[in-house]
Amino acid sequence: MTDKKKVAILWLGSCGGCDETIVDINELILGVVNSVDLVLWPVALDFKYHHIEKMADGEIALGIINGHVRNSDHAEMAKLMRQKSQVILAFGACACFGGTPGLANLRSKEDIFRWVYQEAPTVINPKGVCPQTTTRVDGKELTLPEMFESVHSLDQVIDVDYYLPGCPPPPYLVLKAITAFLENTLPAKGSSLASHKALCDTCPRNASKPNKVAITEIKRIHEVEADPTKCFLSQGIICMGPATRSGCGESCININIPCRGCFGHIELVADSGAKFLSGLASMIDADDEAGLEKISDQVRDTIGYLYRFSLPISIMNQKKLQSDEVKSDD
Amino acid sequence: MKEKEPKIVCFSCRFSWGYLVSEEDIAARLENWIPIICTGKIDPVHILTAFRQGAEGVLILGCPEGDCHYQDGNIEARKRITLLYNVLQSYGIERERLKLHLGADPEGKTMPQLVKEMADTVRKLGPRSGDTPTQKKSATRTK
Ligand code: SF4
Ligand code: SF4
Ligand code: SF4
Repeated sequence: MTDKKKVAILWLGSCGGCDETIVDINELILGVVNSVDLVLWPVALDFKYHHIEKMADGEIALGIINGHVRNSDHAEMAKLMRQKSQVILAFGACACFGGTPGLANLRSKEDIFRWVYQEAPTVINPKGVCPQTTTRVDGKELTLPEMFESVHSLDQVIDVDYYLPGCPPPPYLVLKAITAFLENTLPAKGSSLASHKALCDTCPRNASKPNKVAITEIKRIHEVEADPTKCFLSQGIICMGPATRSGCGESCININIPCRGCFGHIELVADSGAKFLSGLASMIDADDEAGLEKISDQVRDTIGYLYRFSLPISIMNQKKLQSDEVKSDD
Repeated sequence: MKEKEPKIVCFSCRFSWGYLVSEEDIAARLENWIPIICTGKIDPVHILTAFRQGAEGVLILGCPEGDCHYQDGNIEARKRITLLYNVLQSYGIERERLKLHLGADPEGKTMPQLVKEMADTVRKLGPRSGDTPTQKKSATRTK
């Protein structure tokens, strides 16, 4: 038996990108793999969930969870991991804030099912077949997880110890987080394992940002040839930098794409979308109501911009998972 | 049976609204009243929180245009509110449920009437769809 610390990596509602970024720490991953005992990693290793069930409570030193919680299976697995792990790390924007799938919360579950199984133009489903949680086939009962009413961030379902934001988190931050864990230098519980500054503070274009940005027209990035040296906002292009946590290495900015906010909110900000909106409003330069309306109309899909990664934790949308939503809840 | 009054949260700037009477006096006449200094202080977070906590409408009373104690706080408020309309709409909250009214009433006599008018507008819209956002299907889908 090994006395190495046991680490489990689990995906819930995930696109796979978060697991990929762990692989992307390249050869350094070998060092990590050598220093810990990986007990679960569905994307890469063949361990079964019942192996985890058999473990003692708290036997896993670190449980890394990526993806959002949308169905009863996600919730059960999250709860199991919580029970068996000493430390839970919410990994990536989906686990931390609900992520882009969280935008589905703008529609009801019924609406989504109706569209996906009936109304979408590519669907041919004359019998109106729709997935059920239980189906009888040849006398046998088949079951599927139950889809919840909304997408939840991980901490709306279980207690989370640390957050590593990003969609996905960049490899260097992943390595830094794992190193901090191995060396017992993790900060206070509840911390985000990324910078405490706003992206604007570390952005190379910040120096070009005028004291007072005056936006007279809002343009979308694909409509213009953006100046690669100037602050996006000063060019009338929405950039979420002022309301987003730094730490990504300005990945988007460096390829001349404005920030969409995947690192989430800065410390102590209750709702980064609302915060950004406030800042954006003060930059708008319009003399009268008509001018103001015109610029406001140029912000296409306002809610999608403001909450692209964080709708489930926004003021209007946040919902703790009700325990009765998970039937097998103990 | 008397119909229940819709819950209206009213923020008002103390520089123009009711500064000649005591706060208790206005509070006795207005439920859910939040006096502030300068509407420029109102963050979208405050408005969203009011709706989140069940407000059927939010009425903001600011100083007349060109007459803000802090130069242009009321105009800043107007900009935020205009942008916020799009967000509220995505949550199924109609534009009419958030209103900025610029004017002055040192004795605050018209405040209950303004709140009542807001309540009437909101009552006509019917009850709020709640905090489950439901966009109209046709809003963003094209077949
Ligand atoms: S945070 Fe991004 S990369 Fe990770 S699972 Fe979600 S969508 Fe995929
Ligand atoms: S708004 Fe965007 S481009 Fe401008 S300084 Fe901030 S992060 Fe950089
Ligand atoms: S620039 Fe913004 S959207 Fe892009 S990786 Fe960084 S935090 Fe995420």
